[in-house]
Amino acid sequence: MKSIPKLIRRFVGIMALSTVFLVILNIIFFAIVFVRNASTFSPWDMADHAAAALQLTDGGYSISDNVMAELKEENAWAILIDNDTRQVVWRTDNLPNNIPMQYTLSNIAELTRGYVDGYPTFTGEAQNGLLVLGFPKERFWKHTRASWDYNFIANLPKNTIIFLIINIVLIFLIYVVVDSKLLRSIRPITNGIQNLSNGSPVCIKEKGVFAELAEKINKTSKILQMQAEQLRKKETARANWIAGVSHDVRTPLSMIMGYAGQLENSKNLSEIERKKAAVIIRQSSRMKDLINDLNLASKLEYDMQPLTMKRENAISIVRQVIVEFMNTNIDDKFPIEWKTADTLSACYINADKDLLKRAISNLIQNSINHNENGCVIYASIDDDNNTCKICIEDNGKGASDEQIDRLNNAPHYMICDTNTTEQRHGLGLLIVKQIIKGHNGKILIDHSEYGGFKVVLIIPK
Amino acid sequence: MNEDYLLNKRILLVDDEQELLDMVLSILTEYGFQNVKTAKNVKEAKEQAVKSRPELAILDVMLPDGNGFELMEQLKKGGDYPILFLTARGEDDDKFKGFDLGADDYIIKPFLPKELLFRVMAILRRSYKDENPLVCLHDSQIDFSRAEVIKNDEHIPLTAKEHDLLSVLYRNAGRIVTIDALCEAAWGDNPFGYENSLMAHIRRIREKIEQNPSHPISLVTVKGLGYKLIVEGK
Repeated sequence: MKSIPKLIRRFVGIMALSTVFLVILNIIFFAIVFVRNASTFSPWDMADHAAAALQLTDGGYSISDNVMAELKEENAWAILIDNDTRQVVWRTDNLPNNIPMQYTLSNIAELTRGYVDGYPTFTGEAQNGLLVLGFPKERFWKHTRASWDYNFIANLPKNTIIFLIINIVLIFLIYVVVDSKLLRSIRPITNGIQNLSNGSPVCIKEKGVFAELAEKINKTSKILQMQAEQLRKKETARANWIAGVSHDVRTPLSMIMGYAGQLENSKNLSEIERKKAAVIIRQSSRMKDLINDLNLASKLEYDMQPLTMKRENAISIVRQVIVEFMNTNIDDKFPIEWKTADTLSACYINADKDLLKRAISNLIQNSINHNENGCVIYASIDDDNNTCKICIEDNGKGASDEQIDRLNNAPHYMICDTNTTEQRHGLGLLIVKQIIKGHNGKILIDHSEYGGFKVVLIIPK
Repeated sequence: MNEDYLLNKRILLVDDEQELLDMVLSILTEYGFQNVKTAKNVKEAKEQAVKSRPELAILDVMLPDGNGFELMEQLKKGGDYPILFLTARGEDDDKFKGFDLGADDYIIKPFLPKELLFRVMAILRRSYKDENPLVCLHDSQIDFSRAEVIKNDEHIPLTAKEHDLLSVLYRNAGRIVTIDALCEAAWGDNPFGYENSLMAHIRRIREKIEQNPSHPISLVTVKGLGYKLIVEGK
């Protein structure tokens, strides 16, 4: 199925796009969270700010009220450690009890990096000392031993990108493996459905994820095959039935025609009796034609008569048919005139010679059957670039516009699938239509310029 | 011309249907055939063939104890004579099967007496033409065995092509033979494009057989379609 690679391409495309989209979305999300949390409040800035606000006056150290208010708001405490004595020389009132008042150098290093008694502390350089700001426990988390290899930080952008690419490739690989597995199990199903639509029998292995589906398709195929087989059987039976009937009628009809033929020529009979015999012959001949037509029409309709196409000269075929008619003595009442240009001696087409002869002879017979009082029949062939036009027409009584329209467009009662009360006509034209259809040709029925009926067979070269 | 010798030919007629057998027999005897023997099945046919040594066999395809095609093969072993099939089976492959095995013609039932007689006579004429070599035309006679035309007591030789063309026309005497069939008879399987040559040959034949070649009486043209040979006494 052609749509499968298209489907894969489409899935892969969606996959790649959504991966890129997800990565970008994540980066944006991360950035937003980071920026929001990082930029709002910095304890280091506050410590610097407080240190700057601390003033040494005559009465000791004092801090401005608004800084004091900020500290209170944060619930933070503050001390000032003197540079020389390393003793606390100033403190806020809310200092917890167990905060030491004396610090060693290592104490100071420790509190700068981390905590004092669990309180996260931040320092700012003040006049003559170090201002230490203490926040409530668990207000901040401090990375006390933060240090990274230089290369790690230097290569961080590159590594991040590689990491992302590896992720994308991995996701893609997982997708492809999973997908191809799925596709492999779908393929028999799609092949099966395709065969189903072609009408060929389907048998898919009923296992894997799609076992149930496969089973249903197999079942459908069986039903379709069974129906097709039944239809074939029915059609064969019908065609055989018609063939059988027409076969069985031939021998009795031979007898009727044979004896009537003898009676027609019998010298012992009166003129009137001989004429009666002639009528019997004529009507028997009609029956014979009908049987032959019925048999051929049913075979053509049910595709039981394959066409054997060969390169043939249409002119020679038409000539042969006409001569056969003329040789059987219709010349006096139904003369046939050859109207093909003398310059045209060959017009080659791919045709089943016997069937094409049959079609042309049906057309001539039609003219004869419908003009009891006789008519002139005109035959011509025209070589028209890619087609060969065979035209049989007469100067007989012809047909009305309505009849011609119906002959051109309405289906014949024999192949019509609705009940029809339309007057039934012979099979001659139906057979011509079937034969010409088999030759991929067209048939045109019209008024003849000679005054009668005209049929043009257009057969591709 | 006199074709009476053909009516003396021994004919074997095989069909399982007695009434049809009677009818064909009456058609043939009424026409003048004097030696017609009948058989209703393969067994009788073989016996009759040995006894009467037929010169033409008319066979039905479907027989109660075998089929006509097999019977034909067996009959052909006993002597080389023409076979005409007469059958209710109109299928095309049957037709080819019959011709492949060497049948000379094939008539599908139902048929008219004159159609049967024409085919029988045509086969006999083709198979036993040597017995009476002179064909009478209006102004001349043709002697096919010597390939010459006798006109006003003068013997005019025919060329090979003229002989071939006249033979085909004579076998279909009184009927139109298409241009294509004539070309095929003279130039073989791919006879197209020989129409002008054919016209030239026809003109030369007319000079030989007609008193006035410009107004032919025996070899007439059917415009655009073909030619017809008219034999006297037919």
